[in-house]
Amino acid sequence: MVGRHRMFVRRRDGRVEVRLNDLGRAVAREAFGRVVAAERDPDHEWHVTLSAPIDPSSDQDDPLATLTRQNETSTNAELAVMTLNEQFLNDAEAWAWLSTLQVALRATAVANGLLSDEKLAACDPELMNFIRTLQSFLFELAECL
Amino acid sequence: MDAIEPLGGTTAGTDVIEETEVVTKRPWNVVVWNDPVTPMAVVVVIFKRIFGYSNNKATQLMLTVHHEGRAIVWSGQRDRAQAYCVKLQVAGLQSTIEQDD
Repeated sequence: MVGRHRMFVRRRDGRVEVRLNDLGRAVAREAFGRVVAAERDPDHEWHVTLSAPIDPSSDQDDPLATLTRQNETSTNAELAVMTLNEQFLNDAEAWAWLSTLQVALRATAVANGLLSDEKLAACDPELMNFIRTLQSFLFELAECL
Repeated sequence: MDAIEPLGGTTAGTDVIEETEVVTKRPWNVVVWNDPVTPMAVVVVIFKRIFGYSNNKATQLMLTVHHEGRAIVWSGQRDRAQAYCVKLQVAGLQSTIEQDD
């Protein structure tokens, strides 16, 4: 019987072991790097997702809340970048990976107009492959947290 | 010694109108919106992590988002609702706040 190769494994000491190969880490690097860039660059195609309204009924969101969001998103993304080559992640690092991958996944969908199941099913195969890869990372990380 | 008028009483020829302000504090809801890409298991983990919900409650809310397009995941004071909304957005979920009808 052949077991499924798992990309993330929760160990008995509480850490999460990262078993991504070079290709997998390259995908993670791209996702993390783009989140860092999008947070800093208002013209980045992902920036809209990262600055979504908190209270749509108001003309402007509370600046303190938007600043908090910006800081926390950047902190997570930068922590994810810093731990990209680690074999083991502690709980906070694994959470930063999950959050940043999820931000990247949703930003990819929004930036490409993939807001329905039909549009997602009809998207470019290369883009679909990127989305499926992020989803598989997220699914396995979620099982560890 | 001068006479002292009782508080809230009437002075000669003048009515004192007491106004009572009734403030209705409607709660603020934190709403999470569905999207076609986020894995269900991720939504459950995020709800458990941010709100401390049980697996059952988190799963139930995730299913409501999935089937109805949105779910109210928390209600209460505005500042707390806003803080939760920010945490959900930082975790990559589409979330907004709205005042209860």
